[in-house]
Amino acid sequence: MSPDAIVIGAGHNGLVAAARLGQAGRKVLVLEAEDRPGGLLGEAGGLRVAAMPAGLNPEISRTLALHRHGLRYGKPMTTIALGAGAPVRIDGGRVAGVDAATAAAHAALHRRLARQAGALGRMLLKTPPRLRDGGIADLIALGRMGLSVRMLGKADMRDLLRIVLSNVWDLLNDEMGDGPLAGALAMDATLGGAMGPRSPGTVLALLYRMAGQGAGAPGQRAMPQGGPEALIGALVKAVEASGGAVRTGALVERILLGDDRVEGVRLAGGEELRAPLVLSNAHPRRTLVDLLGVAGIDAEDARRARVMATEGMVARLDFTLSALPEVAGLTSADLGERLVVAPDMQVIETAFNAAKYRELPARPALECTFVPGEPPRLSVSAQFVPCTLKAGWTKASRDRLAASVLAVLEEAMPGIGARVTGTEIATPADIEARFGLPGGHWHHGEFRVDQMLMLRPFGGAAQYRMPVAGLYLCGAGAHPGGDISGAPGWNAAGQALKDGRAAK
Amino acid sequence: MSAVKTAHPPVPMGLQPTPFHDRIAAANHQRGWMNWMGFASASVLDTVEFEYFAIRNQATVFDISPMMKYRIAGPEAEAVMNRLVTRDIRKLKPGRVAYVIWCDEAGNVVDDGTVFRLSDTEFRLCCQEPQLAWLDDIAWGFDVTVEDVSQGVAGLALQGPTSFAVLKDMGLVGVETMKPFDIREFKVKAKALTVSRTGFTGDLGYELWMAPEDALTVWDYLMEAGHLRGIRVIGYEALDMARIEAGFLLPRVDFVSSQTHLRPGRARNPYELGLDWLVTLDKPHFNGRRALRRLALEKPKRKLVALEIDRDKAAHHALVYHRQKKEAGFVTSALWSPTAKRNIAYAWIDAPYADAGDDLWVEIYLQRELIWQRRMARARIVERPFFRNPRRTATPPADF
Repeated sequence: MSPDAIVIGAGHNGLVAAARLGQAGRKVLVLEAEDRPGGLLGEAGGLRVAAMPAGLNPEISRTLALHRHGLRYGKPMTTIALGAGAPVRIDGGRVAGVDAATAAAHAALHRRLARQAGALGRMLLKTPPRLRDGGIADLIALGRMGLSVRMLGKADMRDLLRIVLSNVWDLLNDEMGDGPLAGALAMDATLGGAMGPRSPGTVLALLYRMAGQGAGAPGQRAMPQGGPEALIGALVKAVEASGGAVRTGALVERILLGDDRVEGVRLAGGEELRAPLVLSNAHPRRTLVDLLGVAGIDAEDARRARVMATEGMVARLDFTLSALPEVAGLTSADLGERLVVAPDMQVIETAFNAAKYRELPARPALECTFVPGEPPRLSVSAQFVPCTLKAGWTKASRDRLAASVLAVLEEAMPGIGARVTGTEIATPADIEARFGLPGGHWHHGEFRVDQMLMLRPFGGAAQYRMPVAGLYLCGAGAHPGGDISGAPGWNAAGQALKDGRAAK
Repeated sequence: MSAVKTAHPPVPMGLQPTPFHDRIAAANHQRGWMNWMGFASASVLDTVEFEYFAIRNQATVFDISPMMKYRIAGPEAEAVMNRLVTRDIRKLKPGRVAYVIWCDEAGNVVDDGTVFRLSDTEFRLCCQEPQLAWLDDIAWGFDVTVEDVSQGVAGLALQGPTSFAVLKDMGLVGVETMKPFDIREFKVKAKALTVSRTGFTGDLGYELWMAPEDALTVWDYLMEAGHLRGIRVIGYEALDMARIEAGFLLPRVDFVSSQTHLRPGRARNPYELGLDWLVTLDKPHFNGRRALRRLALEKPKRKLVALEIDRDKAAHHALVYHRQKKEAGFVTSALWSPTAKRNIAYAWIDAPYADAGDDLWVEIYLQRELIWQRRMARARIVERPFFRNPRRTATPPADF
């Protein structure tokens, strides 16, 4: 019997979408190219791309009853900023390791941003309005969206409108000055994208990240007990509990197009699977250009999919260690927290300057954590590392990247280099090739103001519906986008169900 | 950084000469020129009346070299053309021409033009507006090359009842067997000449295509051959009269292209333009098909209609009223048709009034020695075209 719906890709968004469809009584088949589910969260080629997930959106966890499938979150992760001086510990609005004035300034700023992020957060689990021709209906839809911002009150709304398109460099310098704390916040504003702290729109990116609230305070990451694997496992169980199935090792090669609607998919190897509903967790460009094919869509959509900004800038490196290191000022428990090595915003900006010209930065900015085990590992996300490196991704380039990361680590944790026994590298180009992910971009497309809300992934395609009837985009390329919230998958499934009911 | 000297020639200033410019300038006694895509194009050479009646009674030559021309060639050229236009190009055989329109994703018309199928895998698209960027987008992902050949091909429209006879006198053997929309290759004076039986006048006529360097040789020979057939060089104004009679619409005049409009809601779809007959919905996906399928089921909000208006004064830019009171639309092109002997126009009429029968009125303003007069003239919606002579399709054409 053929399924009611096929989901392409068993990343967390694909699984969330499948579980929601399953809960609504649809028989869902999830097809995964890798031999294990999880997408960027899953381990592939010796490391996982998304090593440090933000928490799944609580409403999604609750509705899918993921706790019944074994999902438990640990204590929200503390961010520890390692710089020249003593480590700075950040728990949401609470900071230790800086002077009292800076801590107070940060607390006030965090409260303010959290309120504003909350207003944005109300839009995350909603389908954004559809913009047609700039007419009156569009203004009403936008107005409704703006209402939650207006509800912030006059002072906060004015402040939000003042800063929302500005850059995090100016904001943080104005409010508390540069340093390890500002560096850590600027990491939140820029990680995964192709924008430096001085790029316009980085305040919006920071607010967005704070809005995607998981288990902890706004913007805090939360690691499931048992690691990312536990989250994937719970989601797979939720899919199966609702009558769905996950099939691994099934690479979708083509989305089959009938008379203007999807009819199913064809796998590499030629097997054809039929379903009236297909949700793609793949990148928008891969979905439209590679899987559906441009012949089936209008030239405007093909162009938008082709030119959307999606240059990935994060390289992942996993270092195998002979033993966990001793780091001055950190307890052994601290090693499992989120460690940020970006001594100030200037370092991040300087790293971005090189990447802008498709070169490797001399000093990358790092987010890392130690993964216990035998042997233990240090898992590092390094930015900014361009996907389309001018010199090409030769062995020499990879060695240079690894050496620069180790040099930065050595400064923050003296003696770490001597403990490294093995290195795994996934450049954005590796991630692109491995996962069929254009640009190797974490978020399936840059978080820029022109690629957000009703413009995500691009204008005219914002409501999860792709141009062909029955085809939906359920991955990070759709609103509200990346990190590990599960919201795009959730919303896409909701939209597909709504359209299905409307068609009946 | 120091300035780098490039090898590009400087961009020329002012209107550029076409390959026929020297001959047309010599014949242009009025010194009437206009700007057509940056080229000097004759508007009136003697008097517009002489030129117009030559179209209808003799043979006329109009320089169409400034037209935009694109070469689309490659194994998937047919698929690309079929993706571009709303007609089914698979039915267009090599050696044939088709009048086509193409639409954006909203189903609004981008431009119209003619497609020449030169072979199984090579097409030429002729149109008014630059389309290279649009064609590049349409062709992306297909095995095809798109090339702007506008300046590589010189063109002349030879139109009028004696146009066939002129070609025959030029020694084009077999030209009498050419049917409307046929393309044929000839040699004149050792120069390659491509002839298509196409035109913009609703009458017998041909278009001649050649290399720019052969332009003057062909011109001279054509004029020599046409001397006793009343051949006459004409300008745009006379041709515009003929095109209104013949039922052809002009972008920027009768409708705004979806590529050039600025205000929302100004672009127009084929159903509003009355060009339904050019849209084949049951062919593989083409640009705008999804929107057009939806639009085909809706009643258009407005329609471009042909009007026949009482009395004799052309209704340029006039407003159209229902029962002389309620504004119902406006005129885009207007003409007292000397051949049809009727006062004709194209107008946009809002949907409720498109079937209003004979209760439509056109408000014509006339200035007479500085005094304005307002005249309400009754208008009736009629079928396009206003003029179509059986000569247009007769094969072989008569030897006038």
